[in-house]
Amino acid sequence: MTESKAVHERKHVWRNEFLLIISLIVFVGVVYVLDGALKPVFTASTLLLTGIFLALVPAAIWLVFFYMQDRLEPEPKGYVLGVFALGALFAAAVGVPLIENVFRVSHWIYTNTLSTILGGILVVGFTQEFLKYAAVRYSVYPSGEFDEPTDGVIYATAAGLVYATVLNIQYVVSNGGVGLGTGIIRMAVVALAQASFSGITGYFLGRAKFESEQVWWMPLGITLAAVFNGLFNWLRSNLSQTNVSLSGASANPWIGLALAALVAFATTGAVLWLVRRNLNSVQSGK
Amino acid sequence: MENKKVSLGDRYAEIAVILITVIALIAGWFYKSSVENSSVPFNVESISAQAPKGWLQSGPSGDELLRTTDRSSSGFNTTYILRDMPLAAGATASQVANLLTLSHGQDLLAFRLLDQRDVTVYGKAAYELSYVYVESNPNLTHKNIPSVVRGMDYIFMNGNSAVVGSFWADEKNYDLDLGRFHLFLQSITY
Repeated sequence: MTESKAVHERKHVWRNEFLLIISLIVFVGVVYVLDGALKPVFTASTLLLTGIFLALVPAAIWLVFFYMQDRLEPEPKGYVLGVFALGALFAAAVGVPLIENVFRVSHWIYTNTLSTILGGILVVGFTQEFLKYAAVRYSVYPSGEFDEPTDGVIYATAAGLVYATVLNIQYVVSNGGVGLGTGIIRMAVVALAQASFSGITGYFLGRAKFESEQVWWMPLGITLAAVFNGLFNWLRSNLSQTNVSLSGASANPWIGLALAALVAFATTGAVLWLVRRNLNSVQSGK
Repeated sequence: MENKKVSLGDRYAEIAVILITVIALIAGWFYKSSVENSSVPFNVESISAQAPKGWLQSGPSGDELLRTTDRSSSGFNTTYILRDMPLAAGATASQVANLLTLSHGQDLLAFRLLDQRDVTVYGKAAYELSYVYVESNPNLTHKNIPSVVRGMDYIFMNGNSAVVGSFWADEKNYDLDLGRFHLFLQSITY
């Protein structure tokens, strides 16, 4: 492995991250407009299958960009699939049962503001961020293919998207399907949020491998991601909560999507800036 | 910047990540318990208890002093009921149990008595009834599949009346919610 490869910026990675965000928002808009215009009627089974298909879309969009980039800067496909498989396994076998069945967060997390924030950080945030970290740490991280800091962001984003896919499929299955319009917004919000927080963990993972950071470095990364995760969920539940009036009840999922897109752009921009700054300091120090 | 495999520093970092996650989850568990076990005092006709905080509560009606429901439970909403039943002089706990069984048989769909026995609850003599029934929402537009509900009544004799604490929970939530009900039961004074 040459040193020059290990320190270059890989603009395609960042282009893909931003394209993923924009594509998801466009996809949500297209599905929402089509749903409103065509008003499709589903049977119970087609509603379920459509929901599962929609849940797979965010990760599929990312994979398409990944393979397009791959022609220019090859990454081992086996490791990407490995992160996907391990991330899905951790999410379905540990994350969802731990949060839903052991901690039963839906029973108490929305009791008040403090419980939403603390429960969101300590239970939901730490569980999800640790499992996404573990999906990378115990698959590609020890290998020689994890050969530059930006790989942390790539593989952690993959872990975040597959975690979001599992959460969305679980939501679809437990509700027997979802309405197209509101369903696709919810799925995009979950995907954008999970990918964003994973980006933070990915940045810390990348530096941890190549820069001999202190022992507190990686725990700091997981803690930051968990805090952002918890605060995002609190803010989203506050901003897009149901309004009840005499004319009926209404929720505004678009606010959640706008918030998720904003967080995704801001997080990706911040991580990009940090990686650039780090690369510059490494190059200038040579 | 060099390419390397997992180093000793990585191992320490990995242990530190696991540690901080475990610490966060333990703290989360304690916080969850404090939220779930928080209560509000309830006091009617010299009978008092600590009802769960944040649950939907309805006031006295007939011999029912308190009915409190957890709206966040999945399926049938977990419910505690506290009753004060006036009794004829010399009535025994098993007679009260028979009366309750008849009443449940009339009011609850597919009611089945599973077990009944004398027990001691936090130092107080009591009679325990455990049973099962099917939740029957009379609303015809209610689209959910009926839930199997497990119930438990604890009868405490109190002079010319019986104080009855009841616990109803969806079969899926019964074991998980039972611990919280024991706290409620422990708090009952008369």
